[in-house]
Amino acid sequence: MKHILEVKNVSVQYPYAVESAIEQISFSLKPETITALIGPNGSGKSTLIKAILGLIPYKGTILLDGKPIENSYKEIGYVPQRFSFDTTFPITVSEFISLVVENRSGDVHEVLKQVRMEGKAHSLLSQLSGGQLQRVLLARAIVNNPGILILDEPEAGVDVGGEQTFYTLLEQMVKEKKITVLIATHELDIVYTFAEDVLCLNRVLVCSGPPKQTLNKEMFTELYGRELQFYGHHHHD
Amino acid sequence: MAGNYSSTVIIITTNMLIDLSIFTLPFMQRALIGGIIIAALLAYYGIFAMLRRSSFFGDAIAHSSLTGVALGVLLGVPTLIAAIVYAMAVSFFIPILKKKSNLPTDSLLGIILPFSMALGVILLSVIPGYQPELISFLFGNILGISWNNIYLMAAVTAILIVCIFFFQKKLLNISFDSDYATILGIKVNLIDTLYHVSLAVSIVLGIQLVGIVLVNALLIIPAATARIFARSLKSMFVLAPIFSVSAAVVGLFASYYLNFPSGPMIAVTSGLVFLLAILWKNL
Repeated sequence: MKHILEVKNVSVQYPYAVESAIEQISFSLKPETITALIGPNGSGKSTLIKAILGLIPYKGTILLDGKPIENSYKEIGYVPQRFSFDTTFPITVSEFISLVVENRSGDVHEVLKQVRMEGKAHSLLSQLSGGQLQRVLLARAIVNNPGILILDEPEAGVDVGGEQTFYTLLEQMVKEKKITVLIATHELDIVYTFAEDVLCLNRVLVCSGPPKQTLNKEMFTELYGRELQFYGHHHHD
Repeated sequence: MAGNYSSTVIIITTNMLIDLSIFTLPFMQRALIGGIIIAALLAYYGIFAMLRRSSFFGDAIAHSSLTGVALGVLLGVPTLIAAIVYAMAVSFFIPILKKKSNLPTDSLLGIILPFSMALGVILLSVIPGYQPELISFLFGNILGISWNNIYLMAAVTAILIVCIFFFQKKLLNISFDSDYATILGIKVNLIDTLYHVSLAVSIVLGIQLVGIVLVNALLIIPAATARIFARSLKSMFVLAPIFSVSAAVVGLFASYYLNFPSGPMIAVTSGLVFLLAILWKNL
């Protein structure tokens, strides 16, 4: 089933903050594709993601398949930006994923195979590298077969090799499982290589569309400020 | 050579018979049963306290409960019941205070602990005469536990175990990653409140054994010791109660023979086991 996520006029105002963190954001995700969300630090990427996930209050409307998203959070898989939990606590990879499995549809072994971590099922989380941990979080996000997958800068703390493996797996997953993906990232290479659409955020939505048509020198200047030096991107199809 | 060996066995056997005979004493039986029940229960909660990095919560609730004890004495209500009710109320209001004050939990606990303990001392000071409850709650009185207390402990522990069994997976999800638990549709606030209130009850029950000052020894140290050896979450849930119950039994045993106070002896034993575990792991 194709899942359609629509965000309409969404604003978030944090308590005690002078201005809103994001303002009047509207877009919809193209089903079964990867959409990248880019913007400088503090531009509101994580805030927007948290609003979509119902983790913070917001103004506006967020719809999943035409219905308010409030009753459909289970349709979403989520890979957070940082490990907010204690990764040194003794828990195996398999136990960690089993915690979120809701019914028999979630097969821990199968999902570990999909992220090429089947050999690490009985390893402790503390024994994994940054890239491996990120793949475990991806496995946790997809174990209940969500229609939408949201990732918040998953490359943070992962080396280049690990990053490449991660995104290749993600692309494969989109094709096989027909998942719609929204991914916040700082890696422009990733945007050009894997994303069908890009959303540029800097409190407001600055641009949206296919990366090659949307991202140009003027847009980067508007998004990241005058200080940013623009280097031409050589993309090979 | 063979004769020497036999006599050694006899001596060891005789010593063991003498040692075990102390458990025919009714007060030691009660202490042992109470110790085992509460040590296991607190060790279980300690795993969650450690996972949530909220070791200070137990300390704060324990110290706060002194006001409950004082109110119990003043109102003529059993002090244990009064302390439980007061600790439950404090643990219930901590999340509300957190929301209203926008302060982190550890700061709030840092306010609640001295305020509530000082209030308890002031309330107790208005009651004339010696206050045995105060000393008993400060350092525990495991040897003075009555059968009624044991029945209460067993009943409360049984209820808590049933609740925990039902909510364990959700509680683990919240403890690991509360954001993800919210996405999964888990009622985070409700289960958090249930956890804190039930933890408060367990802590007050533990106060009877080792006292307000030392109850965290049974909450945190066994889980910390288990963590050194555990190779999975499952093994944490097996090892922590084993370390906790062992410390309670050995500490009780040692306190009898060395003529030391039981509560502190249990806490010291628990700490020594932790230190030995560290040594063992690093040798």
